[in-house]
Amino acid sequence: MSFFDRRNEMMPRAQLEQLQLERLQALLVRLKRNVRRCREKLGEARVQSLDELERLPFTTPEDLAQCFPYGMFAFPLREIIRLHTAVGAEGKPLVIGHTRNDLLEWGRLAGRQLVAGGVTANDVVQIGLGPSNYPGLSGYVLGAELIEASVIAEDPLHLDYQLATLQSYRPTILITTPTNAIELTRLLEQRRVDPQSLHLRTVLLSRQTDTETRDLIAAGLFAAVKCNFGVREVSDPGLCVECESGRFHVNEDHFLVEVQDGELVVTTLCREAMPMLRYRTRVACEISREKCPCGRTGAVIHPGPRLDGRRLVNETPLYERQVAEVLAQTEAAGHPFQIEVSDRHIVVRMDMCEDLFSDTIWVVERLTHVIESEFLARLGIEARVVFTSPRQKHKPETVA
Amino acid sequence: MLLQVKNLRCGYGSLEVVHGISLHVCAGEIVGLLGANGAGKTSLLKSVVGLLQPWQGEIHVDGRPTRGQAAWRSISHSMVLVPEGKMIFADLTVRENLLIGGYRNPDRAMQIEIVFDRFPLLRERASQLGGTLSGGEQQMLALGRALMARPKILLLDEPSLGLAPLMVKEVFTEIVRMRDQGLTVLLVEQNVTATLQVADRAYVMETGDIILEGNAADLMHNPEVKRAYLGKGAKEIWE
Repeated sequence: MSFFDRRNEMMPRAQLEQLQLERLQALLVRLKRNVRRCREKLGEARVQSLDELERLPFTTPEDLAQCFPYGMFAFPLREIIRLHTAVGAEGKPLVIGHTRNDLLEWGRLAGRQLVAGGVTANDVVQIGLGPSNYPGLSGYVLGAELIEASVIAEDPLHLDYQLATLQSYRPTILITTPTNAIELTRLLEQRRVDPQSLHLRTVLLSRQTDTETRDLIAAGLFAAVKCNFGVREVSDPGLCVECESGRFHVNEDHFLVEVQDGELVVTTLCREAMPMLRYRTRVACEISREKCPCGRTGAVIHPGPRLDGRRLVNETPLYERQVAEVLAQTEAAGHPFQIEVSDRHIVVRMDMCEDLFSDTIWVVERLTHVIESEFLARLGIEARVVFTSPRQKHKPETVA
Repeated sequence: MLLQVKNLRCGYGSLEVVHGISLHVCAGEIVGLLGANGAGKTSLLKSVVGLLQPWQGEIHVDGRPTRGQAAWRSISHSMVLVPEGKMIFADLTVRENLLIGGYRNPDRAMQIEIVFDRFPLLRERASQLGGTLSGGEQQMLALGRALMARPKILLLDEPSLGLAPLMVKEVFTEIVRMRDQGLTVLLVEQNVTATLQVADRAYVMETGDIILEGNAADLMHNPEVKRAYLGKGAKEIWE
């Protein structure tokens, strides 16, 4: 078993809880001094034990959206050296800031995950996360560089180039999305490329996926498959490490995790630029603290589905409200719609109402083209628009 | 954890100066405790060794609770404080100062030779009155006197205070040597750069609270550390 930071990953429970209490107390002081919104919520609140965490107020995705762009920063902007954009509540944008130390710690946390996945200094790492606005690419690059692995910094984007890179650069580690990995296995099949001719040892997936997909990818790329679980607003990658036994261990020296009403709630203990107190992640979760043969002492989490209706289309987060917003920019504004989500694209079904209808076919084709272009330009998502007869009733819950 | 402090509150009269802070020191570590004047660092140390009665909180040394015990008992817990300003006995010789430091150590005759080997200068000045030593030499004497008790954990309160830069370097080199030989050190300092260079971890205190904890090397780049010293009026740091 390999560890990037054995001392912290295997820290005895008593010491870990002491460290968490110290960091939580310091975090409260910093939040009260530096973040107005937290100061208003916290008042004179202090904690004397981790059990008192429950008395502290939550931070919600809505709070982050309301504080857009810099309202949750605990440092002046001049100390922030990296800004990432994430999709927040109902598709509203969020800004995630990082100080120099934040980036260093992010790299170290990603490093823990990479080493647990078997990455060493002798490996060549290819990162193919696609055009999904996934900010984790930076974390993986930082982590791989700390391990001193060779990182292919460019994302080849197109599958053909990805395959060409796999064959020419001979990477041993591939970090990619489940969707992309599946596409790659299909491409290998189509081109009759023997996966054993590649040099891949491990495929690290950017998010958790079901066992069937994992097995498919493992067989299709002839490599071990490891998964990441992260929350983009908090740390992704970096929240946890998938160990050799397939359990997600939280890096508890950096994050306090709890479950409230079945939802994962995370407190960042070390983040400087944008610390978060009891952030409601909108992810269903269970936590267990059983002893793991890998030796890591961090709590084990069992993440479930999203609780806020967020879906993934080609690995890009999508809320129904965003669909309505895009349609509002077109002639189809305010019309009822229904969406079907697949891995790579969405299908938007709309009634062909009188005001949209034209007896000239190119008018309808132009409208279709405009709507599809808007989706691609605004959300980076491929959409197909299908006009249906008004007599076909839509499901009421998907009507905007 | 050799030293564990949880939710410690203490103060003078009705004035609370340490507002419920927690820290720990593991065996073999140098842990820095940084902060500006009046942050509560010295009060915290005094509470840990029993010179100042804590109002609330827990203190464990090597797993044993020590809160509320008399200061002289701290030596039984292998914990020795080197106070701010050295506090050596100026009218006693160097040898007498050292022997006082080892008054509970039955092997003090042997221990004094170990201390002399570590600080050869003290052997040369063994018969000289403590008050006639230079500032740096007095600091060495204070460290030597602490070592006479064969502590496991050494609490150093501003050992660089009033010393010339060269002497500061020597004192800090000595602290690192002591750590390398197995001693654990809690180092309270205002000299941020020097402390963060030798410490493994550090805490930053501001007006009775710990505001930061982390690896010493990481804290070196943290602007909050500078702010903790210069205060909110430091416009070039904080807006």
